[in-house]
Amino acid sequence: MTVPSLQPSIELSFPSELGYEKVARDAVAAFARRLGFDGEKIEDLKTALGEACINAIEHGNAHTPGLRIAVSCICEGERLTIEIHDNGVRSYTGHATPAAIEQKLRGLAPMRGMGLLMITELVDEAGFAASPNGGNVFRLAVYRRRPIVAQ
Amino acid sequence: MRLGADGGGMTSPNSEPESLERIVELRLPSRLGYEKIAMDAATSLARRMGFATDRVEALRTALAEAVTNAIEHGNAHDSAMKVMVVLAVRPDELSVTVADQGRKHLDTEQTTLTPKIEDSFDKPDKGGWGIWLIRELMDEVEFSTAPSGGNQVRMVIHLEA
Repeated sequence: MTVPSLQPSIELSFPSELGYEKVARDAVAAFARRLGFDGEKIEDLKTALGEACINAIEHGNAHTPGLRIAVSCICEGERLTIEIHDNGVRSYTGHATPAAIEQKLRGLAPMRGMGLLMITELVDEAGFAASPNGGNVFRLAVYRRRPIVAQ
Repeated sequence: MRLGADGGGMTSPNSEPESLERIVELRLPSRLGYEKIAMDAATSLARRMGFATDRVEALRTALAEAVTNAIEHGNAHDSAMKVMVVLAVRPDELSVTVADQGRKHLDTEQTTLTPKIEDSFDKPDKGGWGIWLIRELMDEVEFSTAPSGGNQVRMVIHLEA
């Protein structure tokens, strides 16, 4: 019998309602733990993923009941890639230049809108990916120092 | 993964009205160890719904048994085959459905039999308690054939008022 050279992967989907991103965070954290990522990296990944899912719920699917968010995770070598798909009710690419934190603190700019900036700080790769089937696809990736053995 | 308003096609067409039900779906490879991902996702959801710790633990154990059964028996350890887990949140209950792709079919006898502890003493294989355990732990358990043709088990726990 040949051993399949399959990359470890999982997929999940959930309703466009705030709160469900926490279930996605916990599922993906369990997957990353299985792949041998360290605790600190997993915490950063959870924060980034939560923020990306909230963006998809609020902007991509505009809180539309019945529409879903899909998250797919695949691990290739030392890279774990996670894609967040929405239905693209609205297309969004974030704010061109987020308002300065001082302005936010003085109440001159909304407190949110830092999500994409924060995501890029927390993970090794982050950005919108091509979505030939429509909708928005946000992709983020984290690396492990040593190559991940198939498990 | 395709997105849809219907839960991606894995959901039973006979499900409850959409407005009262919220569905989280998971698709896992048939490899031992991946049941932990289903367990953690279900735990996250069950806690959010307000289930007590002992009920969450019971759900974790039942789900671990159901997913490992699907990996080992239903999908016969073929990691290219998927295990589908559908978590359906309703106002007063959580329904968890585990489906495999049916490399091997479960006999009705296997899903209804109560094993005897005396018989286990003489057998080298101490397995065979998973389904019995699931029935002990969950409020409702139903074995059927999945729309994909595989084995399917639906387990429900009720929220106590």
